[in-house]
Amino acid sequence: MDNSLVLYSGILLLGTFISAVSQVILKRAAQKTYPSKLAEYLNFPVIFAYTLFVATTLMCIIAYRVVPLSFGPVLESTSYLYVTIFGVLIFKERITKKKLLALALILAGIAIYATGV
Amino acid sequence: MSSRIKTLFALHLLLMVYSTSGILSKLAAGVDFLSWQFVGLYAGIIALLGVYAIGWQQILRRMPLTSAFSNKAVTIVWGIVWGALFFSEPITVSKVAGAALIIAGVVLFAHADGEGPDVGAEGADDAGSSGAAASQGASRDENALLGADGVIIDG
Repeated sequence: MDNSLVLYSGILLLGTFISAVSQVILKRAAQKTYPSKLAEYLNFPVIFAYTLFVATTLMCIIAYRVVPLSFGPVLESTSYLYVTIFGVLIFKERITKKKLLALALILAGIAIYATGV
Repeated sequence: MSSRIKTLFALHLLLMVYSTSGILSKLAAGVDFLSWQFVGLYAGIIALLGVYAIGWQQILRRMPLTSAFSNKAVTIVWGIVWGALFFSEPITVSKVAGAALIIAGVVLFAHADGEGPDVGAEGADDAGSSGAAASQGASRDENALLGADGVIIDG
């Protein structure tokens, strides 16, 4: 992998992370009760989360200037790692050995794939 | 054709359509920012994500989240196929091996999430249709972070 590929892959990884952050915000917003259906969507956290999401789609396009198309979904599978970390830290979800093994497989797969890009 | 097979087919059709948003993103990367082509491609990306978000919710009404999420790993295969077909990206042994490991990891991840008393998705997989519908509601709620993740990731 050359330097520009590493840099642009970093943009895609950061976008994936931000996308996961927006999920956390949406999930927290979904746990609250609102006075009306409209208020469920028109509140600061939800609008902020969707703004983040739009930003990640643009980051994805910037990343694809250098990152091969096939490498995109591979890098985005790091979302499982973020989802797990946020699940444990914020939502107090349990982490099982099976899940750790699954994450190890995913990360090993990304590393092996990256050697061929 | 049983309804289960129909749902699975619909899910894979949806995932294939959704994966084409990557093609549009890659094309958008090659044109000037905010040019007409860019705006058109970006509108296409947002439209595909909208179709995917709605379709995913419909699939989850008919299928446990664990099964739906296991199948979602196929988008990695579509990425390789579209990359090779439209952008002449080579398919190598290390890419196929890496992709296979990731897919195995995603399938295991989805099923690991169904474990334990607090999540009903794994049970819904084996339960009869009424039980599946009941526990599916619970699993969707418990796994909101994971489920919503499927809707949003990629662009």
